[in-house]
Amino acid sequence: MRITKDMKMADVIQMNYMLIPVIHRFGINLGFGDKTVKDICSETSVDLNFFLQLVNTYHDKDYFPKEELQSIPSKDIVAYLRMTHSSYLNEKLSEIEESIELLQHGEAEDEKYILLIRNFYEGYKNELTEHIMHEEEVVFPYVLAVEEIYKTGLVSEKNKKIYDSFSILKCQDAHDDVEEKLMDLNTIMIKYLTPPLNTSLYHKIIQLLFMLEQDLSYHARIEDKVLVPKMIAMEKMISELN
Amino acid sequence: MNNITIVIAEASCLIQKGLDSILKNLGDNQIIQKMNKAEGLFESISTLKPNILILNPGLLDTNVELINEECGKLKACKLVIISNDDEAEKKYSADAFIHYEDGESKILSCLESLKDDLDKKDKKVKLEEPISAREKNILKHIALGLTNKEIADQLFISIHTVVTHRKNITQKLGIKSVSGLTVYAILNNLIAMDEVK
Repeated sequence: MRITKDMKMADVIQMNYMLIPVIHRFGINLGFGDKTVKDICSETSVDLNFFLQLVNTYHDKDYFPKEELQSIPSKDIVAYLRMTHSSYLNEKLSEIEESIELLQHGEAEDEKYILLIRNFYEGYKNELTEHIMHEEEVVFPYVLAVEEIYKTGLVSEKNKKIYDSFSILKCQDAHDDVEEKLMDLNTIMIKYLTPPLNTSLYHKIIQLLFMLEQDLSYHARIEDKVLVPKMIAMEKMISELN
Repeated sequence: MNNITIVIAEASCLIQKGLDSILKNLGDNQIIQKMNKAEGLFESISTLKPNILILNPGLLDTNVELINEECGKLKACKLVIISNDDEAEKKYSADAFIHYEDGESKILSCLESLKDDLDKKDKKVKLEEPISAREKNILKHIALGLTNKEIADQLFISIHTVVTHRKNITQKLGIKSVSGLTVYAILNNLIAMDEVK
């Protein structure tokens, strides 16, 4: 079901609880009573159009914003993506890591296997961090530069350097590798590992991994379905200008 | 498991949409194509090669002979006839029948049994055994961090063969990354933990 501006925010969250961290990244807190999406957006000065597109893209994997796409400034999208990145780096990844560590201290006999999981996760975490840093340091500055060129029609010295050094097409398939590892970790924990005695913690970790996987895929969808097409269109316009 | 392609050939938009929504409950791994015209129907079916064809004879003016003849040519495609004709079972040689008054559960169970048949056929081709001795050996080498070329040289096989084995291993285990395969190898004592570089 499509999320609209006149729906109650509480209903939206009840429909899909995965949206809780999403609205939190917009600076919206729970406890909204009967206020509608529109009310809350105007209260917290969040762009309503952007908010709707974003939650719908999160909520429905087949949703594809078309006309509205061009109207949202890339800098808003980038600002949002940066918020998600920091929530991964500062909260989600360490939360899982701490749980795995806890598992390791739990008992002695299975320590060897837990160590395997821990090392694997460590490797995954480093890879994801690297991927995020790449986006923060290369992709986002590029996006912002392209938008500036597109808007002003002027190519400053600084922007030209950024523009020439990268193209959005380069980041299109980068997501798969990172996702793959996370799925592997889950597969191993579900299919091949004998669970340790502390099953409840073990289950919690698997659930956390699934939630991270889902959140990441939502995040990737924003990049792939909103940001990348926007950039491709802008790149095309710019290359026609030159 | 591979995707299942289902073609719904039905002129009535109500029935077509209704079937489509029922079919969604059948599972995720399916592609549903809808057709509502007789022209080009069998041509498109021969290119689409669906696993299941759900056909309303009304679409072809209930031309029994034509339908039986054309559908007889469909190899490896299950035919489901959808009709409100009580005599349909006698007229058409189909794998299953759906009647207008059938409930959702009846339609689903009918299609599920067809799907199971298809799966069984599918499995005969693939190996039931989790992972063969040969594949274990390849997996061991992958886990040790060797490249395809190095594995090929050591085992005196072509790179192409190594790639094929890798593909099968990944498919059977559901693990794609090298580090994931390494963990599997250690868990199954194919290699020791301290052998990993």
